[in-house]
Amino acid sequence: MSSTNPQHVGSIRQALAIVLVAVLFVSSSFGAPQQPTNIPDVTTMSMEDLMNMQVTSVSKRSQKLADAAGAVFVITQDDIRRSGATNIPEALRMVPGIQVARIDENKWAIASRGFNGRFDNKLLVLIDGRSVYTPLFSGVYWNVQDVMLEDVDRIEVIRGPGATLWGANAVDGVINIITKPARSTQSAVVTAGGGTEERGATNVRYGGKIGEDTYYRAYGKYFNFGPSVYPNTELAANDNWDALRGGFRADWSPSGPDSLTLQGDVHRSKFGETLTIPSLTAPFTDTFPNQGSFSGGNILGRWNHAFAASTMSLQMYYDHTKLIDDSLFTDRQNIFDIDFQQSFHPGSNHEVVWGLGYRAINDNNDSSFTVAIQPNRLTLNQFSAFAQDEISFADRRLRLTLGSKLEHNEFTGFEFEPNARLLWNLTKTQSVWTAVSRAVRTPAITEEGLQLNSAVIPPGGPGNPTPLPAIAAILGNHQFKAEDLLAYELGYRMQVSSNFSADVATFYNQYSNLRTAEPGAPVIQGSPIPTDVLVPFVAANNMGGGTYGGEVFGDWRVLPKWRLLGSYSYLQMSLRKDSNSLDPLPDNPAGSSPHNQVYLRSSLDLGRRFEHDFIVRHVGSLPGLNIPSYNSLDMHMSWKAASGIELSIGSQNLLNDRHLEFIPDFINTAPTEVKRTVYGQITWRVD
Amino acid sequence: MTVRRLIILMLMMMLGQASRAWSQDAEASSEYLIKAGYIYNFAKLVEWPTTAFAQSDSPIVIGIVGTDPFGPIIDKVLEGKKVNGHPFVIKRLKPTADLKECHILFIGSSMESHIGDAIRLTRGTPVLTISEIPGFADHGGIIHLSLEQNKVRFEVNVDAAKEADLNISSRLLVLAKVIQQPSDGRKTE
Repeated sequence: MSSTNPQHVGSIRQALAIVLVAVLFVSSSFGAPQQPTNIPDVTTMSMEDLMNMQVTSVSKRSQKLADAAGAVFVITQDDIRRSGATNIPEALRMVPGIQVARIDENKWAIASRGFNGRFDNKLLVLIDGRSVYTPLFSGVYWNVQDVMLEDVDRIEVIRGPGATLWGANAVDGVINIITKPARSTQSAVVTAGGGTEERGATNVRYGGKIGEDTYYRAYGKYFNFGPSVYPNTELAANDNWDALRGGFRADWSPSGPDSLTLQGDVHRSKFGETLTIPSLTAPFTDTFPNQGSFSGGNILGRWNHAFAASTMSLQMYYDHTKLIDDSLFTDRQNIFDIDFQQSFHPGSNHEVVWGLGYRAINDNNDSSFTVAIQPNRLTLNQFSAFAQDEISFADRRLRLTLGSKLEHNEFTGFEFEPNARLLWNLTKTQSVWTAVSRAVRTPAITEEGLQLNSAVIPPGGPGNPTPLPAIAAILGNHQFKAEDLLAYELGYRMQVSSNFSADVATFYNQYSNLRTAEPGAPVIQGSPIPTDVLVPFVAANNMGGGTYGGEVFGDWRVLPKWRLLGSYSYLQMSLRKDSNSLDPLPDNPAGSSPHNQVYLRSSLDLGRRFEHDFIVRHVGSLPGLNIPSYNSLDMHMSWKAASGIELSIGSQNLLNDRHLEFIPDFINTAPTEVKRTVYGQITWRVD
Repeated sequence: MTVRRLIILMLMMMLGQASRAWSQDAEASSEYLIKAGYIYNFAKLVEWPTTAFAQSDSPIVIGIVGTDPFGPIIDKVLEGKKVNGHPFVIKRLKPTADLKECHILFIGSSMESHIGDAIRLTRGTPVLTISEIPGFADHGGIIHLSLEQNKVRFEVNVDAAKEADLNISSRLLVLAKVIQQPSDGRKTE
């Protein structure tokens, strides 16, 4: 270990000297602004002067971030507006570590830290506390989830597990869409827009006040997306989409300890797609334009009670979603959910949160030859309880969070989802955090009782020596277990100065019991005359392995009116089927999520009236889907033409005419290309 | 070897200079520097009842409870400053401390879920409560600071100020968004 060689000692001494000098330089430079001479004397300024000063810090974001022992990213209202995004999936493209790929005009594949797919089942999405994942496939119908974007306060995205607080399905991430309280939306807003892809859209909102304590708002919106194109053709695709939506929110907050919120939405949308389904008669496959519709509504009530050093909330909601897919499937789903939560300080260094929840899911579906679920009607009951304690040490510089969720579902019984998180505020501007957590992904209704006929192999065709057509079918399995994750995370944040902050988050995820499709013994169907052979691929839990990666995010306010934001996300997945697995599919679902994603955003204010934004993105290739990498440039400009009137124009994908982003899994709908688009909007605000 | 070391040294120096330039720029325009200036102006434009000060040169006590977003900035801004003969004292308080001991109470954003308690604990005493928590003034807090278009704006709940026996200068009120909402929820006549 040690060396007595004088030459070595000399070089070590020299190295030490260099380090010492360097430390001196760095510390002197960091120490410099501590001297009061660098601070303008704000006490000599009048209120009017102060009110005219531009704030350049990243404030809210970093402040909140600095206290979280997790990989949190916040999209603000400003970010949404300036990006020109007109729906939630497109707004999510600015989140590091999230993979967003458009399948067609009305479908997306969105995932956090891998496993991307249209039916990704490891991401939990909430809108104002209402979970919007469907228990049908434990995923999200992205074309149903919408809000009036002008009323969004922020979208908080947590990469990594959030199961202790949010429960099963919060495996790889949680997306929390939070709308503003009604008090903050007390104006009338009308927007009208149109463009090459989104043909027309209008939003109307009105906010008002009843008596002294009640604020409310109501909104309505409509949009219509025109067709895109099929890959490598000029043919207009059958992927139109239009939606009509309305809703309200009322907040009653007298100055006592109690407050109430009541909110609800109704929606109706129609979508088109080009569907390929198998058939028992030649040519054994059928491709045709298909239509479908979603409709539904929800109502949510929340009661908050704050009293001496403790708060309680009770929330209830009911959500109804109806899907009518003309050629595949009809599904009616009713969800009732009730949640109670309390937080209190049992001592000055403890902050305890605990809660209880119950959810009833009622599903009612009609099947087709392609998709069938048994039973057609079912009701599921889920119970959950959680408790978490945040313990502060060392003058609150060190915070340890310990907690767990315990929940019961009808498929796998009790599930236990603990986590331990530690945040260390090294200095006022730097923090390190680490976490170990377990999350589970409980079986979806489809994994229990689905029959999805994915292909028919013609008699005598390759792989089918029989004289009957062979149906390759994916089947659910009552023995299907929950998928398991043990996640290790480590992150670092630094507010380098009040105009530059950086955030690094890394993870190693250890999965087990991941889903595979195991071939079973073929069955001859039909009696007395055999009609076909069913080749079953039964859901099983025979895959596991690790994924690792990280995300870097930087936010630099170059000038008071110019801000640059950049991010790099890296993902590596190495999953392996168990040796006893016979699942014939390629080994790795990794091929559907890019290894690398990079973006750079610029936000520039030109004077008081103009805003100019652009975002350059690089998304790596998807080898599993044979999709090449792509670069894109989106631009957005807005002009405050007069008091209350804002004009904006945005253009997406300026670098290339079109590109393909994804190929859907399970249900064979034709993917379409994302074209270069232009969209203009006028916003009129009346206070 | 020496050349390499020299380069490393120069790089370090450049890095040091760059970070120094950065920090200076940053400090000059920080949000909380501006907000510290607001607090100084509030102290100047709000009149406390004479009973609030033991002597004519007793300090104006500024309490910060919950997350402290100011860091050392506010201490530096107010160091050696006086308003009507009163110097400033800044105290970082635990939520369990007696919040009535201050003249100005800044309630940090980590107190969001306990905002009702903080307001109740100071109700009827001459404490100027200030917070960035959304809806603060509507819930009976006196001054709510917010950011609009990257500028600091503020709301004043005049009923809550009246209850606290604080006299807010009209010079301040003309710049504020005025809210009338007594902390007990009853309508003012």
